Amino acid sequence: MPKQYAMIIDLNRCVGCHACAIACRAEWDVPVPNQRNWVKRLGPAQTSKGLSYTYYPGLCNHCKDPACVKVCPADVRSMTFTDKETGKTVTQEVAATWKDPFTGAVLIDKNHCIGCGMCVEACPYGARYLNEKLEKADKCTFCVERLEKGLEPACVQTCLAKARIFGDMNDSNSEVAQYIKKGAKGITSAAVNIGPNVYYYGKERDIELLFNKCAPQKMPQASVGERRKLLARMIKGVLPIA
Amino acid sequence: MAEITRRHFLQAAALAAASIPLSRAIKVYAEEKKPDFVPKGSFEDTQSIAGGVCEMCFWRCQLVGKVRNGRLVKLEGNPKSIDNGKAICARGNAGIMLAYDANRLKYPMKNIGERGNPKWQRISWEEALDECGKRLKAVLDKYGPQGISMFPHGASAKYPMDFFETVVGTPNISEASFFQCRGVRDQAYLTTYGHTCDENVDMANAKVIFLTGSHLGENIHVSHTMSYLKGLENGAKLIVIDPRFSAAASKADIWIPIRPGTDTALLLAIMNHLITKGLYDKAFVQANCTGFEEFKKACSLWPAKKAAKECDVPEAQIIKIAELLAQNAPNVAIHPGRFSSWYGNDFQRIRALACLTALLGAYKVPGGFTNPISPKTGSIKWKDAAEPDEKINMAEKWPFHPPGTPTDAIRNAGITGKPYPIKATVIWGQNIVQTIPNQAMTIEFLKKQDFVLCVDVMPTDVTMYADILLPEPTYLERYDVIKKGGKLSTNGPDKQYIAARMPIVTPLHDVKDSIFITNEIAKRMGFERHIPVQNQEEYVNKILEPAGLSLEKLRAENGVHIEESTKKAYRNGNELEFETPSGKIELFSKELAEKGFAGAPAYTPPPKRPAGYAHLLFGRVPVHSFTRTQNNLWLHNEMPENALWINDKMAAKMGIKDGDRVKLVNQDGLTSATDTVVLVTPGIKTDAVFLPHGYGMRNPMLEIAKDKGMDDQSLCSANCVDPHTGTHGIRTNFVRLVKDGKTISFPI
Repeated sequence: MPKQYAMIIDLNRCVGCHACAIACRAEWDVPVPNQRNWVKRLGPAQTSKGLSYTYYPGLCNHCKDPACVKVCPADVRSMTFTDKETGKTVTQEVAATWKDPFTGAVLIDKNHCIGCGMCVEACPYGARYLNEKLEKADKCTFCVERLEKGLEPACVQTCLAKARIFGDMNDSNSEVAQYIKKGAKGITSAAVNIGPNVYYYGKERDIELLFNKCAPQKMPQASVGERRKLLARMIKGVLPIA
Repeated sequence: MAEITRRHFLQAAALAAASIPLSRAIKVYAEEKKPDFVPKGSFEDTQSIAGGVCEMCFWRCQLVGKVRNGRLVKLEGNPKSIDNGKAICARGNAGIMLAYDANRLKYPMKNIGERGNPKWQRISWEEALDECGKRLKAVLDKYGPQGISMFPHGASAKYPMDFFETVVGTPNISEASFFQCRGVRDQAYLTTYGHTCDENVDMANAKVIFLTGSHLGENIHVSHTMSYLKGLENGAKLIVIDPRFSAAASKADIWIPIRPGTDTALLLAIMNHLITKGLYDKAFVQANCTGFEEFKKACSLWPAKKAAKECDVPEAQIIKIAELLAQNAPNVAIHPGRFSSWYGNDFQRIRALACLTALLGAYKVPGGFTNPISPKTGSIKWKDAAEPDEKINMAEKWPFHPPGTPTDAIRNAGITGKPYPIKATVIWGQNIVQTIPNQAMTIEFLKKQDFVLCVDVMPTDVTMYADILLPEPTYLERYDVIKKGGKLSTNGPDKQYIAARMPIVTPLHDVKDSIFITNEIAKRMGFERHIPVQNQEEYVNKILEPAGLSLEKLRAENGVHIEESTKKAYRNGNELEFETPSGKIELFSKELAEKGFAGAPAYTPPPKRPAGYAHLLFGRVPVHSFTRTQNNLWLHNEMPENALWINDKMAAKMGIKDGDRVKLVNQDGLTSATDTVVLVTPGIKTDAVFLPHGYGMRNPMLEIAKDKGMDDQSLCSANCVDPHTGTHGIRTNFVRLVKDGKTISFPI
């Protein structure tokens, strides 16, 4: 079975130190105030299961059905993906962003990206940003570039709590799969259920607070008209026509 | 209008002319962007430089730097480290932004304005050092060594501190780490056990972890936090005593929201229960402790029922804790704490923690108060050095004071001229305006000086009061501290390690290290013959020498030397020796009693809260250290201001909502200069508010940090001093809210 990379956030271990967010910023030169990786502090607040003081360490969910991929207006090209382990290849039509068929990572071709920000608007989790300086969309890559060099994702490496566990959820022996089996959950709601692959594990009260505060309640909708508006915004101030 | 480039023209034309397909226009746009937009990551074309030792806080994790074309792009934990390993915290990761902070001190400066309202003029190092030498010498000649005081903090301040203490001869040295932080703790353990403690209780192997007012998780010390998490992973029960639902409380099995400042009464009640029910470790106490009878009597003053009332804790909870500790003894980690300058009754509180440890036999056992054994290294002594003259030492008024002289005595002498005038002050890496309670007095002290020298990496609120301001390299650009420690093992030999701080990048700007600065000042004051080393490398090599190491050898070992310990830190058997006057653990200390203090731990209630006010509790957030990191762009971005915690029931009655902005006014009528955002939460006692420390800096040179959040220390005007140690108690202040110019009292 092809891999699906996934990340576990174990809130029982997390101490909310924000190292993951900063290590990612350094690793990928993410400008302030943008973020590929963030920590939000939640509470202390009352839940139905008692008092909770927990954290939302967030990143791209590399969703099963990624809303961001569908909206990319860049030219579609044919791209051949290769499974690094079996050598098997698949050719697909992709725009500037896609979901890798062999790893499940949602990635961007920066050189092909037109910087329109459509994907940024489309993500219900706010996991993408537009790098204003480069005029390119950017987001977490699960550090596939580091994985290729035999390194862990930057956020995982720096985590003193071992609260971030990375692996292939399709491998039932992986720690990630074990966590999912014992109840780690992606952040979803009735309206937003696109198969997030970052899974949160913790006490019931902490999960309750996390979902109450952080589960997106609406899928962003962008019409063709809005796409045009976004593009117009991109060139505003350059020509008087926008 | 901006320049119209070809690509923008094409793009706009595409939009205007609907007949041209959008995608084609965009394609032109995309193809025009030739530069590589893909960030390289820290692993491409970088050199790994080991030997860094972090100083974003003082836990000193071992680092490697990833350097590309001379520029530091990332800091990581040194994979060779047995301390922090590959992990570092948010601050450690953000160290790069200290090195590249645009507001760093970049060259020597002279204040041609006034202290507190400075006008800076760049001067040469020669001129700056001449001025320092001349003016310090003038004060020394006129007032004697006692006319000079020094406030050091950090590794680079050690060498100049030794110079001023043992060559110049002033006893007036006050380190914030002692007098406003952990000194009282060290002294209480020293009095009880004959040796001090650190934070390294063996939480990893504990069955119960017992924390009072802890910032674990909010003040990140990497290996310390790892040990705590290891303990929890292994199933340790966690007890947290804190008026606030802290990060540690959120992981606790038992959280005791205690009335602020009453911890000693609770500890005495726990110990009283252990004694009266015979639940303590009788064999250990008999073999190793002295003064049990007097101690027993002292504990009996606080039966659980009485303590329950005093502490606002259910009696059953107190008994439950005592029994949980007894059931799991001796493998219980009674944490001595770190920041301990709380209520001015701190010495006795920490004595109680030390005695509780002994009662449970939790000394040098797995999970107990077991400090790992560190390897031996050398030290640098100035030539012909001597201790300051005892006759000029003000510290003896506090017989259990930590090294140096209580800050309060120094500041009073500087203001009043009694018992002698203090006219020159050297401030090295410490921000005394935001560290010491009662800012007005600190500022008065600074204004009364003939000469103030500040040396630092960054501007702070105290550097505004300097006459001469000198820039140091960051910890990433210099040699100085030796970090050493040990790692306990339950099934083999313990390990030890030594790392020395080595530069990862070459210093930016016209900065000089502390060895150079101190030597040059020493020469100009006529003390050249006392100089022990000529440069940083010699300094570090001499300290490493007794361990058979050198910078060269450490470099060859990737920055960290690791060896097996010849001794185990855990005890073997029950017969132990202690370097106390009695040779035993002093549950009752004759020395204390002889000097007029309670010989066995005793509870003194904290200052009474005035009606309408709340206790001002302050503490840490994991992205900042003291007032050293607030201008760091990456850290600032994580938490731009310090949210004020207010109890939800109180807030409802006071008409305060989550997200409101308020100022605070304290019991002396002092109002905070800035406001901050409110966090309404059930996670704090009704009679207290909590404000993270270190925000609200006023120095305009700090373009990021200035006026962001609220300065807790500006509201700490109560000047409470622990009578045993001379250390400050700082949580003795009370506040009301100010919203839209209107003062709002707490309805209690």
